[in-house]
Amino acid sequence: MLGHKLRKFIVDEFNLRKQADELGVRVWETPSFLFIVMGFVILVAIAGVYFISNNYDSPDVLVISESTVVVILFTIGNFIIRSVDQVTRANKMKTEFISIASHQLKTPIAEINWQIELLLSKFPGGLSEKQQLLIGQIAHSSQKMARLVGDLLDVVRIDQGRLAMTNETLDLCALVAEAITNHRPLAIASGVQLQSVCPVEAAKVLIDKKRMGVVLDNLLSNAIKYTNKGGKVEVFLETKDNLVQVCVRDNGVGIPAKEQSDIFKKFFRSNNSMKSSTDGTGLGLYIAKNILEQSGGKLWFKSLENIGSDFFFSLPVIKN
Amino acid sequence: MSKKILIIEDDLVLQNSLDEFLKAEGFETIVAIDGEIGVQKALTEKPDLILLDIVLPKKSGYEVLQEVKENEKTSRLPIILLTNLGSLSDVEKALGLGATTYLVKADYSLDEITKKIKEILNLK
Repeated sequence: MLGHKLRKFIVDEFNLRKQADELGVRVWETPSFLFIVMGFVILVAIAGVYFISNNYDSPDVLVISESTVVVILFTIGNFIIRSVDQVTRANKMKTEFISIASHQLKTPIAEINWQIELLLSKFPGGLSEKQQLLIGQIAHSSQKMARLVGDLLDVVRIDQGRLAMTNETLDLCALVAEAITNHRPLAIASGVQLQSVCPVEAAKVLIDKKRMGVVLDNLLSNAIKYTNKGGKVEVFLETKDNLVQVCVRDNGVGIPAKEQSDIFKKFFRSNNSMKSSTDGTGLGLYIAKNILEQSGGKLWFKSLENIGSDFFFSLPVIKN
Repeated sequence: MSKKILIIEDDLVLQNSLDEFLKAEGFETIVAIDGEIGVQKALTEKPDLILLDIVLPKKSGYEVLQEVKENEKTSRLPIILLTNLGSLSDVEKALGLGATTYLVKADYSLDEITKKIKEILNLK
């Protein structure tokens, strides 16, 4: 396991083409490449100075050779600084672009959603069943877009440490029950059984209701999406000591062992998940993990390929 | 007697949607298109609750919030910040100035906003 991790680290660290693609720069501009060149130059410089000091008695030659080495080192150092600076600026611009674009998109999305809601809930007179169905589908698409834009903005805020939470004391059992009800249509459409077991007493937690909804939505929709027809998704909730623990269990496609260490990374989608569903950005689990950690909880999982996955999360219970 | 809601929102589509929905839910509504008119109406119309946007012409939502909270006549008025700015600093600033709660427009339906208003005003 350790050997595999070390090998992966070395391969990733010195895979210059991959690094260049990830950073959006040319291979010779990647920090790792410049670092290797710097190391090589230092070795050549040490050997050169040693050679010169052994073969020439003149202090002038020694001073010139050392000065040349210093100039070369400064030049390479300057390249490294410029390369890091370029990458940092590009990253900042990308973050700002996502932030501004997402924020600007939120207003028209709210306009569409609110007008459709107003039309369907308060002024549905004159609309045929078919028209109502079509408008409902437009509303669904717009809500999906809102969710996508929200996810992108949340990722930027998580990375900047600025994710806002409006916490209130809520019963987690009730939130789980609500999430199960919301996901029932998807489960029925996918031919997957959906069940939950909650304790009799309320499990009060301090959480942002909307964000907890996002966590439960991600875990439940993933479990349903990646479970084959005829499969089962179960949600267990139990209180232990001062914690409430929730387990979302499925007997779906599971996560391959070699991909499990990447599962909470941004934009990561495992190979078998993409075979099961093309829908998804690979942001859901990254966001869910950060929401739970920011709420004093944690998220983890156990999975076996072609057997299924158990996703667990825990949160501190609020007493009275 | 129906409760009076002041909607301070410069986006006319959003303002109209809120206005129509709340009226259909039995509320009385007043609208203001900028921060300056918003402060005036908060003082003269005596609303029971304010729905307040942050990015507004003439006076920002933060300025409106501050003025309403500093005035003895309106200091106890519940104010819901309704905006698409949702970073930690925005929320902290709004709550620090005395907003009752903070909702991101694109994340909330009109029905959810109405439920929140009823909850704050202790209505069934």
